[in-house]
Amino acid sequence: MSGRGAARLLALHLAVLALLFLAQFALPAYHHTNVARIMVLAAYAVGYNILLGYTGLMSLGHAMFFAAGMYGAGLPVYYLGFGAASALGAGIAAGVVLAALFGLMALRTSGVSFLIVSLMFAQAFYLASLYFNEITLGDQGFILSDRLAPLSVGDASVGFHEPAVKYNGALLLFAACLLLGLGLRLSPIGRVLIAIRENEERARLLGYDSYRYKLLSLVVSGGVAAAAGASYALLFSYAGSTFASILFSIYPLLWTLLGGVGTTLGPLIGTGLMFYLVDVASGFTSAYLLVVGVALVVLILWFPQGILGTIRARWLPWLP
Amino acid sequence: MSFGPHLFLALLEGTVTAFVLAVTALGLSLVFGVMRIVNVAHGEFFMLGAVLAWFCASLVGTPIAGFLFAMIAAPAVVGALALAADRLILRRIEYHPEGTIVATIGLLYILQQAVLTLYGPDARPVSPPVYFTLTFPWFGYSGYKLVVAAISALLLAAVWWLLTRTTLGLYMRAAQQDLEMAQAFGVPARRVYATVFALGAMLAAAAGVLVVPIQQAHYLMGLDPLLLSFIVVIIGGLGSVKGTLVAAFVVGISDGVVSVFFSPTLAKIVATLLVAGVLVVRPGGLFGGDRA
Amino acid sequence: MAAVAPLLETEALCKRFGGLTAVSDVSLRLAEGEIRAIIGPNGAGKTTLVGIVCGRLEPTSGRVLYRGREITAMRPWERLVQGIVYTFQVTSIFKGLSCYENVALPAQRRLMQGIAGRLALDERAIEARVGAALEAVGLADQAERRADALAYGHQRLLELAMALAAEPQLLILDEPTQGLAESEIERFCELVRAIARRATVLLIEHNMSVVLDLAERVTVMDAGAIIAEGTPAQIERDPAVQKAYLGR
Repeated sequence: MSGRGAARLLALHLAVLALLFLAQFALPAYHHTNVARIMVLAAYAVGYNILLGYTGLMSLGHAMFFAAGMYGAGLPVYYLGFGAASALGAGIAAGVVLAALFGLMALRTSGVSFLIVSLMFAQAFYLASLYFNEITLGDQGFILSDRLAPLSVGDASVGFHEPAVKYNGALLLFAACLLLGLGLRLSPIGRVLIAIRENEERARLLGYDSYRYKLLSLVVSGGVAAAAGASYALLFSYAGSTFASILFSIYPLLWTLLGGVGTTLGPLIGTGLMFYLVDVASGFTSAYLLVVGVALVVLILWFPQGILGTIRARWLPWLP
Repeated sequence: MSFGPHLFLALLEGTVTAFVLAVTALGLSLVFGVMRIVNVAHGEFFMLGAVLAWFCASLVGTPIAGFLFAMIAAPAVVGALALAADRLILRRIEYHPEGTIVATIGLLYILQQAVLTLYGPDARPVSPPVYFTLTFPWFGYSGYKLVVAAISALLLAAVWWLLTRTTLGLYMRAAQQDLEMAQAFGVPARRVYATVFALGAMLAAAAGVLVVPIQQAHYLMGLDPLLLSFIVVIIGGLGSVKGTLVAAFVVGISDGVVSVFFSPTLAKIVATLLVAGVLVVRPGGLFGGDRA
Repeated sequence: MAAVAPLLETEALCKRFGGLTAVSDVSLRLAEGEIRAIIGPNGAGKTTLVGIVCGRLEPTSGRVLYRGREITAMRPWERLVQGIVYTFQVTSIFKGLSCYENVALPAQRRLMQGIAGRLALDERAIEARVGAALEAVGLADQAERRADALAYGHQRLLELAMALAAEPQLLILDEPTQGLAESEIERFCELVRAIARRATVLLIEHNMSVVLDLAERVTVMDAGAIIAEGTPAQIERDPAVQKAYLGR
């Protein structure tokens, strides 16, 4: 990847972000909030993709990182009166620490064992959030809006309930995570992660301590997921146990698979598409999770590379 | 009720739980052990057994007839479904480990939501086929629960007999030890796989039928048995009837005791962390060193 | 004996797998700049021995010394940085990646110094090294092709390019000519001779003509132990060697 190639890819990603920025002026109100939500969840998927797509480790426990961010930001705001910026920091820190601890224990395993260990830890986290429901208010969750101080922009103060704040806050988060993902992908570290995914033993014998790189990938992945969780709590003013449940660990897997595992823009496409699929389905039936089930089976049987993955394989091999 | 009788009650409950759990977990264990795959939809087969039992009971006059009808029909239907899933999905992805997990998660949601659509969100009771009370000096205990334990023990014995005394059992044990060698000796791997998958599903369904008079049939009831079965299988060892039995008892009884004296949620937290711990510490991982 | 310290030395190396002794009391000395061949019947323990040297396997007992320092406990990736490079018996490359990416991975290792060096590197420096390695093995025009699209012989050359890009000081080749056509083998021998001008080569081979062509000294193993050592001519005449190969 020469310097000019990297610049062109950066331009492509900035163009996508610019499109998202402009879209807010054209979208009707209902879709406005939806797209804001999609962008935060897509950031979550970007985080997940770093571990699965780049490093080749499938986890079923990412909900614990998302929820760590959510509670890590939400609880200080609710109980201690934190402002948005420090809450975001606290949320990300919580996710990073949790990911590091988890990695130190779980990275001794791999493949299906790793998957089950991640599932079990996440389930324990979820159950703990229910068990300590005097603090977390469990399934019901708690609302932040009256406790969260508005942002001060220059002289004016802008509340978090403002649609423009939600949208642009979400866009800012997504942009940061997307560009972080792209940067990682194009960096020497990214090259090592992909090598580990393809053939770990070979990578070790070519000079790379694979355990350290996997741990790094997990910590970044968890940190990004936590940033998404923290942002979700702050922007949409809610924190609750459902975001720590198994379904929320399955979602990023589904979104990433649909959009294209191992592509930088795939998570955005997958999240957006699936969000609307579920949205439309829930208008018809209360059994809308059927869409999730069918999508997973169809993808694994016929389109394991996902949308962008298939496009890349057939026509655009330079897509990261 | 003082501590002693409370403990006795907890032990009784734990024993019944353990027996049913043993049957459910054995299904998962056989699939894990012989096919080397994780079937995340296993709990949904259990749920289907329970829901179909309710359906059978609503068709037939007496509870006992309904029960007998269900004990035959439910595993048959669920077994057929499992065969279809194996043929259409699992075989196509060649039992690839992570792919199977994704596919069976999909299957989980398909089955669960299909039941939600056709059966509804309510929990519906089913009358037990026999109703009598065992009177202890401190409390009365449902006699049916002991019947459940007895039938579970019978099912476990039947599976043990299948594994050790029949050709199919021989094929299964051979495939579990070393698939390539087994195939070289003429073991029909594909058919064995399909049969084992169906058998696992049928065991789960039978457990569901047994349990439904105690628990009520609900479309979400498959998740707890799934989690507990996972725990039993990972602790007890894959494909081993003895290991599954022992682990089911350890897990079932301690779950019963902790749930009665502390809280069910805490019991589950401890159990999930225990499983994670076992996997992390065990050097061979999931399949290493786990020969029956 | 030798006035100069050997580049690589093993002391009484043993490796047991349960009841099976794969390597038994092997003491080997490799001088810097040598081309040494290790030969022996199948199951003699050759791959196990070099596996211990490059760090893939831990010995049951014994020591490995490199440049006079004990490296027995050193991890495989650290050994690569020291200059010990191993190519696999069964080609082990990154099949889904392009040839360029395959070679870039080892090529960038030396450039990754410190945190800054890991976050971003001048791709042109990497390009130069990758280009040189691919050029040396004759695959320069295949840089953008996927590795699994190459013929087997070319995949082996790719693996050699990867080894070159890692800047080896001790290059360990495990049955490198297996599966290659005659012309490819000749090409390969030329390459090894060129490499040996800058590095020490340890070569496991079954192909006797390659051994006679390339090796300065030969070590013969059988049933986990060294049974003979000498020049190719000496080894050819050694009765113990003849027995090991023919008396079976």
